[in-house]
Amino acid sequence: MNTDKHGFKTILLRHETILLLVVLLEWFYFNSVGPRFGSVDNTFDIMRHSVEIGLLALVMTPIILTGGIDLSVGSLLGLCAISFGKFWRDAGMPIPLAAVCTIGIGALAGGLNATLITWLRLPPLIVTLGTFSLFRGLAEAITRGADTFTNFPASFLFLGQERWLGIPAQAPIFILVAIGIWLLVHRTTFGRSFRAIGFAPEGTRYAGISVERRLAMAYVLAGIIAAVAAIIYTSRLGQAKADAGMGYELFAITAVVLGGTSIFGGIGTVHGTLLGVAAIAVLNNGLVHARQPREVAGMLTGLLLILALTSSIIPKMLASLKARRQTSATKPIIT
Amino acid sequence: MRALKGVSFDLQAGEVHALLGENGAGKSTLIKVITGAHQPDGGTISINGETVAQLTPASAHKLGIACIYQQPALFPDLTVAENIGLRLEPASALRKVNWATRQTRAEELLKRIGAEISPDAEVRSLSMPEQQLVEIACALGAGARIVIMDEPTASLTQKEQHLLFAVVKDLRASGVGVIYISHRLEEIFQLADRVTVLRDGESVGTRAIRSGTGVSLVQSADVSPDVPISRTLGEDRRDACPTNELSESELIKLMVGREVSAIYPPSESEAGNVVLALKNLGCAAGGVKNISLDVRAGEIVGMAGLVGAGRTELARVLFGITPADLGEILLNGQRITISTPKEAVAHGIAYVPEDRRRHGVILEMPIAHNMTMAVHERVFPGTWLRFGAEKQIAQDFIRDLGVKAYGPDAPGGSLSGGNQQKVSLARWLATKPKLLILDEPTQGVDVGAKSEIHKIIRRLAKEGLAVLMISSDLPEVLGMSDRIAVMRGGTITAMLPAKTDAHEVMAAALGQAEKGATK
Amino acid sequence: MKKHFRELSVAGALAVVLIGLAIFAPAFFQPQPLLSLLTREAPTLVVACGMALVIISRQIDISVGSQFAVCSVCAGLLAAKGWPLPLVFVSSVLFGAIMGAFNGWLVAGLRLPSIVVTLATMVTWREALRWQRQGEFVNLPDGLQWLGLSQVAGQWTLILAALVILVFLALATKHLSAGRFVYAVGTDAEAARLAGIRPQLTTFSVFVFMGALVGLAAMMNVVQSPQVDPKSGSGLELKVIAAAVVGGVAVSGGRGKLWGVFVGLLLLACISPALTHLHIEAYWEKAIQGAIILLAVVADGLRTRKQRN
Repeated sequence: MNTDKHGFKTILLRHETILLLVVLLEWFYFNSVGPRFGSVDNTFDIMRHSVEIGLLALVMTPIILTGGIDLSVGSLLGLCAISFGKFWRDAGMPIPLAAVCTIGIGALAGGLNATLITWLRLPPLIVTLGTFSLFRGLAEAITRGADTFTNFPASFLFLGQERWLGIPAQAPIFILVAIGIWLLVHRTTFGRSFRAIGFAPEGTRYAGISVERRLAMAYVLAGIIAAVAAIIYTSRLGQAKADAGMGYELFAITAVVLGGTSIFGGIGTVHGTLLGVAAIAVLNNGLVHARQPREVAGMLTGLLLILALTSSIIPKMLASLKARRQTSATKPIIT
Repeated sequence: MRALKGVSFDLQAGEVHALLGENGAGKSTLIKVITGAHQPDGGTISINGETVAQLTPASAHKLGIACIYQQPALFPDLTVAENIGLRLEPASALRKVNWATRQTRAEELLKRIGAEISPDAEVRSLSMPEQQLVEIACALGAGARIVIMDEPTASLTQKEQHLLFAVVKDLRASGVGVIYISHRLEEIFQLADRVTVLRDGESVGTRAIRSGTGVSLVQSADVSPDVPISRTLGEDRRDACPTNELSESELIKLMVGREVSAIYPPSESEAGNVVLALKNLGCAAGGVKNISLDVRAGEIVGMAGLVGAGRTELARVLFGITPADLGEILLNGQRITISTPKEAVAHGIAYVPEDRRRHGVILEMPIAHNMTMAVHERVFPGTWLRFGAEKQIAQDFIRDLGVKAYGPDAPGGSLSGGNQQKVSLARWLATKPKLLILDEPTQGVDVGAKSEIHKIIRRLAKEGLAVLMISSDLPEVLGMSDRIAVMRGGTITAMLPAKTDAHEVMAAALGQAEKGATK
Repeated sequence: MKKHFRELSVAGALAVVLIGLAIFAPAFFQPQPLLSLLTREAPTLVVACGMALVIISRQIDISVGSQFAVCSVCAGLLAAKGWPLPLVFVSSVLFGAIMGAFNGWLVAGLRLPSIVVTLATMVTWREALRWQRQGEFVNLPDGLQWLGLSQVAGQWTLILAALVILVFLALATKHLSAGRFVYAVGTDAEAARLAGIRPQLTTFSVFVFMGALVGLAAMMNVVQSPQVDPKSGSGLELKVIAAAVVGGVAVSGGRGKLWGVFVGLLLLACISPALTHLHIEAYWEKAIQGAIILLAVVADGLRTRKQRN
């Protein structure tokens, strides 16, 4: 049991149960429509395709918990994929070293976001919008828009395309990161601080917690994991191009918000995010099996995000409306 | 708790009616009722002899009631002329903005109040008093018949004060009724025609300073015979016959009221070593200067003064929120610097802030989480949360401090003010501090919880904690403190012994002749 | 002078770039390519004006690119059906206004953060369009291109139209009370409420207006070519936000001037041709654009930091 959410337990429990039901419903529906949908192969396929977005959603969770946002993760994935290819092919690095250097690039990029947000106290929205453009632009500039990195060794492609111990090879990495982020958010003082910052940044400062350092940590972590996602992405597709991960930030944010994390910060869980990722991944894959075009999935994701946002706000609005009506009803008429 | 009990107040046209009282006496609530921000649950309000059924901010505005708050509600990015224009022009969207008219009107209004402010200046670039003058210009321009000024001179220079007084006199001459809230007695004697003193939500007397004439403008909660007595809570103590001669000391006596009773637990602790020593401490950004003060182990040093005297600002300097730029801080004889709250906590300084709901307790979080927030490193070594230990700490504090909550998981916002305060206190006691700074520890707390908190503070002092207690509740300062420091204008103006009477403290806080000061 | 410092510094930067181009790449100033460049940027200018209003009211709209594409395709389809040009224009504006109203309802009515709302609508409109059209171009009937005028006359018409809108909005934000309400709401919504302005209505109207301008801009783009590209307008949101931010519109709301946005857009528009003329690869354009956005917000951040201390 997670004691970190006491007080909101009922609400969250409800939200996550509903989401789980939605995922299961999706599953059964698509299973009845597409005959191959429920097979083991396809299940692994869903997993493979959702790992990168899942990783981004996982690191987006702490950021949104602090009341911030990171629009640059998709672009950063692209930049890191290119950097990885560059390190391996043009700098002649062995794959492991190239991977480490790529993660270093990710950390640096996350550090840039973190510095601008904490040092100058600029809104995360506009900072990451700027780096969104900058990172993608750098990726395009490095590859001159056309350069593609391919012909990676089979030992590397194993990570993204083969099975290891019967499961997709990238799944263990995802599971490790998921456990790590879950522990960070739900079992460490850092997670506690993220929430506190989301609820009341000034109040957190008054409790002697270094708000800037915690925020910086969340954004740097996002950079590092975006780099990991880039490596897995490259391995899965067997190529690195400048447009890698385009639009992924939207899917990540959608998964987080769908998973019950409040866009205003403070409230949310990592397992909710995982369910959100699952809901989107099953929908995407299922629609293909139901012979629907891919665009429908994208459109539905957008609609789902709007729906998740409004559903989080409507109970609050109803409550305030009710409260207003009550006060006006009990108000004495002074004569 | 009631903020106001059967208060009667009336204002006449062409009158300056001062409203006086300690912090928390109910002045601001009365103002909110008159401006329509709060609805009274009894009594009547009549304006120009007509009873107003329900006053809302909009209808108050229409009736010509304007309030100048200490924190002006202006648009910082826009110019002065535009700020005045947006207030005074009709709020229809498709209308040509006549900048020339705006300009001349702003110039004229500012000139009328003698303010040397360019209409083209951005409000952001103005000082707080200048912004207040803009607010006054807005009120004037709106043709307000009732102008409420809430401590308008709190941050004004001498010259600006004189200008403001001229404005107030001008308003009076033109038949406007002015409700003037101030702590500065000399101002009241200089300006006001009458003065009403509030204490503990009750009106304890209205006295004439000058004989005023005119028609009655506002009568709130008027206890006239045709109003059922049940509508007014408490008794009406309005003094019927005003006397012309009212001395300052009489006014202070009215404000202070009852003698300090024996409800405060007696001091039992012996003062030990000096824990905190401040030498000529100053912070330009925080607005405090030249602070020298000792606090000993086992001692409660009360800190009295008016709102804006620099007490909270001093606490913020000591806690590293606005770090000091001058002077020395010695903790147990060691010279230290404090530049962030984190460092302050590491040095063993704890600060229970004044604004409980914004800074003291995170309302959405369980009280257990709130209580351990400042001791993450100690309770959770290696950053891993230990829910068992946390729960234990929370339960210990809940029992120890008598927090009334359904358990450690209750969100802070579900507790009453007094219990929230205890949670805030628990957070800081968990750090095992050497110095505990309390800022208004019993503000907005009911009577029962108040005396419980007093007992806790006493016990902490007995256990050897050095306590610096900022309070605007004069009986509390007198009843709890071993020594009393009085602040005024950002610095300590008097150190008084425990056995001081309220009159002396108030006199020092108001800046009267410092007869009781023993520096 | 001091009041326009921020805008003048951008104008200074633009002047430096133009002088640099005059020295190192005088070919840039040939009339025909220059006219084409300005014509291409005319729709962008119209959208940038709307974006400036949105940011001044302390919101953001990143769905404008998708709205632009939807309006373009819808207008193209109507024109292909043989609707008269004025009616097509009106419908395009109407489509934009409806999409803007949807954003406005979610932001002002339900008080959701505009960034997430418009992120969601951005992808919804875009994917819906891709689904419906499958990337297919719309062929326009003859006589629509350049509004049935000669190319040069059409180009001048579009440039002048964009300038007229700019001047009108620049005047309206200064001399129309509604324009001032946008600033008031962006500066302090609560103070605006106290002054009798309705902040939510203002925000809603700004989003509707933004959508209408996008519809208009889409038409200005459609008439430039014989076909409608369903991908037109991708990346537009970033370009106009960059123009607004570079041109001195504060992301914290309440500050900014439309002529500053104009100068900011010209500066950004010069990058691409300047890169070509200076023999730097054009792939740097997006990175430079991002760097310029960051530079502008950092400059503003440093300034407010200085004010704070």
